[in-house]
Amino acid sequence: MKKNNSEYRLEMTGISKSFGVVSVLEHVNLKVKPGEIHALLGENGAGKSTLVKILSGVHQKDSGKVVLDGEEISPKNTHDGQVLGISVVFQELSLVNDLSVAENIYLHKLGSSKFWMNWKQITKDAQELIDSLGFEIDASARVRDLSIVQKQVVEIAKALSEDTKVLVLDEPTTVFDPTDTKKLFDNLFKLKAKGISIIYISHHLDEIFKIADSITVLRDGVDTGSMAVADTNTDGVIRLMIGRELKDLYPTRDVKIGEVPVLEVKNLTAKETLVHDVSFSVRPGEVLGIAGLGGSGRTEMAKLIFGAHKKKSGTLILNGKEIKTKTPVCAVGHQIGFVSEDRKEDGVFLPLSIRRNISVTNFSGISGKLGFINVDNEYKNVLDLIEKLNIKTPSSEVDVKNLSGGNQQKVALAKWLSIDSKVVFIDEPTRGVDVGAKIEIYNLINEVAKKGVGVVVISSDMPEIMGVSDRILVMHEGTFYGELTKEEFSEENILRYSIGERLKQVV
Amino acid sequence: MALTLKQQLSSPGGLLKFLVKHNTIFIFVLLVIFSALISDVFFTSVNLSNLLKQVSGIGIVSIGMLIVILTGGIDLSVGSMVALLAVTFAILVNVFILPVAILLTLVIGFGLGSVSGYLVAYQKMAPFVATLALMTIARGLGFIYSKGSPVTFKTPGGAFMSNFANNSTLGIPNIAIVFFLIVILAMVMLRYNVFGRLVIAIGSNEEASRLSGIKVNKYKFLVYAISGALAATAAIIVASRTNLGSPNMGMAWELDAIAAVVIGGASLNGGKGTAINTLMGVLILGLIGNILNLLNVPSYPQQVVKGAIIIFAVLLQRFDSK
Ligand SMILES: Nc1ncnc2c1ncn2[C@@H]1O[C@H](COP(=O)(O)OP(=O)(O)OP(=O)(O)O)[C@@H](O)[C@H]1O
Ligand SMILES: [Mg+2]
Repeated sequence: MKKNNSEYRLEMTGISKSFGVVSVLEHVNLKVKPGEIHALLGENGAGKSTLVKILSGVHQKDSGKVVLDGEEISPKNTHDGQVLGISVVFQELSLVNDLSVAENIYLHKLGSSKFWMNWKQITKDAQELIDSLGFEIDASARVRDLSIVQKQVVEIAKALSEDTKVLVLDEPTTVFDPTDTKKLFDNLFKLKAKGISIIYISHHLDEIFKIADSITVLRDGVDTGSMAVADTNTDGVIRLMIGRELKDLYPTRDVKIGEVPVLEVKNLTAKETLVHDVSFSVRPGEVLGIAGLGGSGRTEMAKLIFGAHKKKSGTLILNGKEIKTKTPVCAVGHQIGFVSEDRKEDGVFLPLSIRRNISVTNFSGISGKLGFINVDNEYKNVLDLIEKLNIKTPSSEVDVKNLSGGNQQKVALAKWLSIDSKVVFIDEPTRGVDVGAKIEIYNLINEVAKKGVGVVVISSDMPEIMGVSDRILVMHEGTFYGELTKEEFSEENILRYSIGERLKQVV
Repeated sequence: MALTLKQQLSSPGGLLKFLVKHNTIFIFVLLVIFSALISDVFFTSVNLSNLLKQVSGIGIVSIGMLIVILTGGIDLSVGSMVALLAVTFAILVNVFILPVAILLTLVIGFGLGSVSGYLVAYQKMAPFVATLALMTIARGLGFIYSKGSPVTFKTPGGAFMSNFANNSTLGIPNIAIVFFLIVILAMVMLRYNVFGRLVIAIGSNEEASRLSGIKVNKYKFLVYAISGALAATAAIIVASRTNLGSPNMGMAWELDAIAAVVIGGASLNGGKGTAINTLMGVLILGLIGNILNLLNVPSYPQQVVKGAIIIFAVLLQRFDSK
């Protein structure tokens, strides 16, 4: 074996890649030392995921060189990558829904090892692995029944079940609340101490400054430089990412909030989940934030109101009239919208074009009596939205599966924000979205609110929920534990209610 | 910069890319050229119009199959439905005046399809299972109502239909015209109508469709009902061609229909497929049968060749999605 003389564990040099005619990476360099946490930053569609997919064998590079421990490698698939010691937590979940947690974690071993698997042993090993990470998940549970946060933990555990030299995490914390994130970071520090190299992709710049040693920034497929974290700051990184300064992340709003609530929810209790006795109201023009830890029931509550899950009891009053939302069809009929947090599973149609995705909620706007679509109107509407949300794509006919994660999120939003609603629930509006695009989404939320819509934003991102909301409700174990007015907004207050300290009753 | 051969061929406008993308049309054209070269009878109007008459019935059923497959379902009952509905039509046309007989047959087809639709959409039964049950039920009913033997047309209405089904307009067989009209209608509905958009959306992500406020159950129900109505249309056509309705009609048509849809590039997982490509799939299957008949190849080897073509067509599509 050749001796590794370089100080780097991994050296990717001059990597180029294009899909068809679209060039995604051009002569990109990325160098990572042993025991280093190296942040990879850039706007949506900058090519971060593509770069790590080349490293791990999902995509093949067009040109360039990848050297691991002094030896040139070119994995043909993720299995090759794993054998070489490269483990990846991909941006999009890649678990098999119908298998157990343990089976998923050891799935990639099925091909190589002996004919018979000792499932009992494997379940035990998986349980130990998860426990050692500090999370609570039953290793014999079916993945389908897990929450999205738990799924992400399984995804991480899967990557760690290997003898890993390089661990890649592509936006691992998008679904995490601060406590989960902290647990993950503790684990990363342990791995770092063991000398494992970690490549960390995130749009949360505060995370980067907490854990990373060095940074590489990509802009439109070109790397704009690498530096030690100590030598830069948030503004410096943003400038490298988007090529300009950012002023206010959270745009100021001058919206007149109505007096009479547009939607009132009274004593809502779920049939199958932990959500119980939820009461609140949202007024026209108001942005109501719902905070809480992962698994506290925020998404469940929204799905309950939207008719996607079964209610046991409770009343919904829309503009003074009681309504029933037995199914999402009813909810949409009452002009209630819902942007799902899990864009891949139930937010977007991956195999369909951007145009078809966006139009799906808006046929009344673009079609005539017999349901025939006015294609000109459709294009106009879709192109407008692509421009407004700055969706990075060569055309409206690109399949959503070929968009970067952040741009997929914008499509999921566009679908709902283009139509007339009375109330919209937005679950994690900027999951996986870059800083620049976040502002565009916040602006859009404001614009929607300005039209007199009641906007309910669910978010685990503390600065975000404080930045966009007029008022925040905090959920704990399926019910609201506290309400914060704008003056009371602080991470501490939110956290206190989130962990169940009942300071003040919601009225 | 020097491009490798692979890059050249796969560059935009590259011949290969074009051919792979439109592989059904490509296979179809190849087969036509091949047929014309190998047999001098092929390009005679008698042969071509025979070919069209042969595929029209299966073609109509295939369009119904396509719409079902687009939602991610499957309809195994279509072949037996054709048998039952052909018998039904023969009985009805001997009792009622023609328009009533036609209308009733279509309504019964729609109704039988609705049974599958109800089981799949509202009882959450697996489409394979629900339509498998309907398949045996329909075939059995066909034999019961016909008492096991064909029912012949005896009225002027029947004679009119048989005359219609065996004649041509402007050189094109009338029943092929019916088939083409249905293809065009399906094409328009799938491309330019909300119905098609929603069917495709449901097939590509059912949960996302539900959360988009789409009436998923309604559309899943409708596609089977439509498939049933199209089976009725096919039944009327095949019965009229032979002047009788027989419980043996439509044997294994569900398999040919699935084959045509798959050759046409549709995905059995749903969400992908077009009417024009299904038309190509139908014509390709028909052509293979036709040319093998002209070459006097017996029917068993024909089946082997058919199977091979299906594999070839689907392999070609793989390139496209890569
Ligand atoms: N399979 C593919 N086919 C065609 N284009 C693709 C494919 N995968 C990615 N792209 C394009 O490559 C570009 C880079 O995508 P990539 O996923 O690497 O971005 P990213 O930096 O990870 O963005 P995000 O922060 O949104 O996740 C995007 O413009 C995307 O549309
Ligand atoms: Mg990405």
